[in-house]
Amino acid sequence: MNNHDITLKINGEEHKVTVPANRLLLDVLREDLQMTETKYGCGTGECGACTVLVEGNKNICSCVTLAATMDGREITTAAGLEKDGELHPVQEAFIDEFAVQCGYCIPGMVLKTVSMLTENPNPTEEEIRHGLEGNMCRCTGYTKIVKAVQKASQIMAGSES
Amino acid sequence: MNTRIMPEFDLLLPETVEQAVSLLDKYQDKASIISGGTDVCVAMKSGYRTDFLISLAKISGLDYLEYDPSTGLRIGAKTTISQVLSSADVKTYYPALWQAASIFATPQLRNTATVIGNLLRASPAGDCICAVYALGGNIVLQGAEGQREVSVDEFWLAYGVTARKVDEIAIELNLPAPVKGNRSSFKRLTRTNEDLAKLNAAAHLEMDGKKCKQARLSIGCVAAIPMRLEKTEALLKGAEITDDLLEKIVTNVGNEISPIDDVRSTAEYRNQVAGVLIKRVITQACCKS
Repeated sequence: MNNHDITLKINGEEHKVTVPANRLLLDVLREDLQMTETKYGCGTGECGACTVLVEGNKNICSCVTLAATMDGREITTAAGLEKDGELHPVQEAFIDEFAVQCGYCIPGMVLKTVSMLTENPNPTEEEIRHGLEGNMCRCTGYTKIVKAVQKASQIMAGSES
Repeated sequence: MNTRIMPEFDLLLPETVEQAVSLLDKYQDKASIISGGTDVCVAMKSGYRTDFLISLAKISGLDYLEYDPSTGLRIGAKTTISQVLSSADVKTYYPALWQAASIFATPQLRNTATVIGNLLRASPAGDCICAVYALGGNIVLQGAEGQREVSVDEFWLAYGVTARKVDEIAIELNLPAPVKGNRSSFKRLTRTNEDLAKLNAAAHLEMDGKKCKQARLSIGCVAAIPMRLEKTEALLKGAEITDDLLEKIVTNVGNEISPIDDVRSTAEYRNQVAGVLIKRVITQACCKS
């Protein structure tokens, strides 16, 4: 099996790593770089726990992405959303609405929400639920998560109610 | 199946289509091709093996989606489902494909998975396959000897098997330019939104007022390969679409298919519901202004 020397720009910082051909992006993040905020869920691209953003805003599943195919790309993980010690408005909204129970799905949920609100800053509930497909939560039943997305949308629009 | 363990293989990252073709020419059936890789990576975790994996990641210029009113739609090998979904031209002129894209897997997979990858997977449950089969068109294959085009009518040969030869790369899908009175529609039935289809169906009609001049109907999950309902299409050709005709179609579809029981559904359910689903895609296509 061949190895590949790759550079990943993760949360603004360049990381040079040598990966075997079959190394998945998720394993590079969690095992090689010890960035454990990205979670391992199903491993088959269905649950969204491993969601990361590529090139700013494209949400993908890192568990079905070969690391060597991501050479030179910019990756954002949940830990990269915080700026200068301030949480991202989406993270604040998830806390405010008690949208977190066990928390395992939340890094993926938060990243998906950032991605969704960047494309559609004022989504309807139906659009939120459609957008959150691909991110599974086994605790909250989604109601609070949907509320958190609505709250984040309001905060980001500067019209917090 | 252990979803943490990937088998070993050599990953090859050609930078041009020509390089990819020469790698295929060299390794033949020992190589597999990926673009997004969402399907092959999962398959490899559950037993699929390949010695060489050729990724299109470093080949630029294959992620296009171009619509021309006189020649139709061109979709490149790396064009993702999300790109299809964000195209107003696809939504307007190829609604069946847009509707299939809108419910395809999940947002994450739509951002990575490609239309052509879905066609090459050759699963009878493929949603883009179902829509593209009804819309008609050609797949452009490039090998060491040059390019050839294969009609979608001759592309799916058996479960997981297409007309692509082992040393060819599918580089483009062409869908024909819409003619006047052109309508299409797609629907899918699943247990949950993210699931694979129990049944999917698409209709592509050429209407002249209430009269149907031509029809192409495709249905998935009722045979080893996606299927066209040619006998039911014949009922539509030249006919006015009335409630009576639609009821006749419901019965006819049930007679034209012979599905099996599998993990997602039963043959009995599919036999009962397939006709109704076809009726709904015809009605949905016709209702579009």
